[in-house]
Amino acid sequence: MFKQSFKGGLFLDNPFPVKKIDLINIPLPDKVVLSMQQRIGEQAIPCVKVGDKVLTGQVVATIDDNRCAPVHSSISGIVVAIENKKMADKSKLEALAITIESDGEDEWIDNSDCCTENYNICTPDIIYNKIRMSGIVGMGGAGFPTHTKVRIAEGCDVLIVNATECEPGIMCDDALIQAYPTKVILGTEALLYICGAKKAIIAIEEDKPDAIDLLKKFCKNDAITIQPIPTKYTSGAEKILVKSLLGIEIPSGKYASDVGVLCHNVGTLVAIFDAVLENRPLISRAVTVTGDAIKEPQNFQVRLGASYDYVFNFVDIEPGEKNIMMAGTMMGIDLDGTDYYVNKNTNCIVVNKAKAKPVIKECIRCGLCNNVCPIGLLPQQLYWYSKSANIEKALEYNLPDCIECGCCSYICPSNIPLVDYYQFAKGLNKKQQSEQIKNKKARDRFEFRQLRLERNKKERAIMMEAKKKALQEKMAKDNVQKELILAAKKRVEEKKLKRDANTK
Amino acid sequence: MQIQNNNISVNQLMRQVIYALALGVAIQVYFFGFSVLVQIVLAIVTAIIIEALILRMRGMDVAESISDGSAIVTAILLAISIPSIAPWWIIVLGVAFAIVFGKQIFGGLGNNPFNPAMLGYAFLLISFPLQMTLWPNEFQGVLSIFKTSGVDVLTGATNIDFAKTQLMMGFNLADITFANNKQMWINIGFLLGGIYLLIRRIIFWHIPLSLISGMIFISAILYLIDPNIFASPFFHLFNGATMLAAFFIATDPISASTTNIGRLIYGFSIGVIIIIIRVFGGYPDAVAFAVLFANMAVPLIDYYTQPKVFGK
Repeated sequence: MFKQSFKGGLFLDNPFPVKKIDLINIPLPDKVVLSMQQRIGEQAIPCVKVGDKVLTGQVVATIDDNRCAPVHSSISGIVVAIENKKMADKSKLEALAITIESDGEDEWIDNSDCCTENYNICTPDIIYNKIRMSGIVGMGGAGFPTHTKVRIAEGCDVLIVNATECEPGIMCDDALIQAYPTKVILGTEALLYICGAKKAIIAIEEDKPDAIDLLKKFCKNDAITIQPIPTKYTSGAEKILVKSLLGIEIPSGKYASDVGVLCHNVGTLVAIFDAVLENRPLISRAVTVTGDAIKEPQNFQVRLGASYDYVFNFVDIEPGEKNIMMAGTMMGIDLDGTDYYVNKNTNCIVVNKAKAKPVIKECIRCGLCNNVCPIGLLPQQLYWYSKSANIEKALEYNLPDCIECGCCSYICPSNIPLVDYYQFAKGLNKKQQSEQIKNKKARDRFEFRQLRLERNKKERAIMMEAKKKALQEKMAKDNVQKELILAAKKRVEEKKLKRDANTK
Repeated sequence: MQIQNNNISVNQLMRQVIYALALGVAIQVYFFGFSVLVQIVLAIVTAIIIEALILRMRGMDVAESISDGSAIVTAILLAISIPSIAPWWIIVLGVAFAIVFGKQIFGGLGNNPFNPAMLGYAFLLISFPLQMTLWPNEFQGVLSIFKTSGVDVLTGATNIDFAKTQLMMGFNLADITFANNKQMWINIGFLLGGIYLLIRRIIFWHIPLSLISGMIFISAILYLIDPNIFASPFFHLFNGATMLAAFFIATDPISASTTNIGRLIYGFSIGVIIIIIRVFGGYPDAVAFAVLFANMAVPLIDYYTQPKVFGK
């Protein structure tokens, strides 16, 4: 099954190795903060008010937009606030968030439903809806709503379950498989039923022998293959994974669904299991807490909306200044504190000791970045053009194809934060594009106005011409009449004169 | 964005290059005397002073930029390329030219289109051809460098130069007896240093291999045409600055091509040009001009050798 490895990439060990991988359920938090903004798409709209009592699993926010999923309460308690909170992403923008204070009961909403274990008596559409209503999004970090992804990939041939752990240091997928191997298998079967694919491949890195053994032990379905792949960074990137497993190269600008492949993170599969077979919406997720300031890196099953500080209660953190990062060490986002909350896409929190930033030097054109780029881009050229904001050239060097994996930034001997430059250039490109669209609209409007004015002018001219003609005709007519009248008057005058003469 | 520091930084990279040069330099000292070391010291001191001066004028962090070691590498490369008994002002002028017009004028480290050491070498060779072609025949002390009156040590041309003049006088290559094989040993020294760099993954194999193949390719053709007039590929590989060029000069990443296919083309063309200038040109060795020629072609090579992008 394994077709080929890919060019570039990096062989990276887990920077913070652990002896044993566990998934620890941590107690209910006192309070959760649920953000209405998921990674992409519109904000969900709260359907509860401050002061409302909510139950675990109750929908607290919903939306029609397909790029967004509903949000469920992850504990039972009282809604105490609906206000703006900082989001854990690069934009540092705020989004509406619902704060719920726990009553400590974890009282569940009534979640009996028509089909659970025998879900195959329902049509795939019904189960699809169930996934939609359960608020499941991509648990690997992208946070794209699962139901939309499933719908786009309808009629696909292969389902790939991505258990490759996107970055070194993250262990939550491994922990999840070891804790719930059957959930992974059954979730995969359920998803196979919905999307209609004939076979599924569970791709898992070779450095997780325990998880591989467990999956092999519990997998009784011939349609599901468990495929170990080399532990090489970016092997988990969707495009790379599809190529290494199936030998299909997804064309630039297209997605896996365009080549008949549906690709889901293993965490998503567990969430699908919970939703379909147990009628439980997405209210918790596995989070890795790691970093060089953590004595014993650990994986936790955390209720969504729990604060980072609350999660940190369960690990030993060394004292001193810290750098906090969301997601892994390669693509993670630097955060300005711990004032954040576990979201549906929070797969890892990295806590590092604060250290001096490495000195950034000039690019010496060594080309190491060319060698590690898994996409085959020229990071160096992209860097020049991004730095000088020459978007046109950057696009010529395929800027949009960059997957921002961070291999180039990692290997750069001059410590240049290359990916930051590409993100800047991509943002600029987006802005320019939207401006172009805006400009085009404005131009179109202007041109149409000109056209309209021109047309009006012409029409008016024709009208005026017609009027003038009519007037002239009228005047001509009037003249004739005047002459007639004058003639008549003259005749009368003459007659009168004649009569007078006669009477005299 | 990353937790651990990279495997290697610019400073370490330059330091490794200096280590790798040590063996070749030691062999040069053995043959030509301690004047080689004096040239190197002079070159380094000049490079640091000039670089610091210009960095200061440009308002940059002087200590930070000098510590990267790139100016020192340039200085050493130039110092070991010129004859060890050249007067002191030769190396001082050459290094100053290399740093100012080869590097800083373009914006310092990373921005120079030409190899600074080779630019300095070309400048010296054109300006002071006499001093640049006289190599000592035997082990020499340091005094000759500082003598103000004319050179009074025994000097001679390199083998390549010697062969060329002898051929012009109508001799056959078979009749020419070379005085020594010092150049071969020095080349072997740099070859071993280069292999060290390859093993440490400081440089990649593309440029050295293609450069050597380029030289072998063209010199073999010539040799097959007439071995009486054209020297063998072996002669070319182990004479002149071949190995220094292949592993230390052409591999300077800043002025070299950066794509893998581009590196092959770049190295191969340097190899071909070296032989053509050596055989048909008027200069004793050709590395500097060959490298400068290829430097000029780098933007073009890079543009036409872009790798295939995933999904395109």
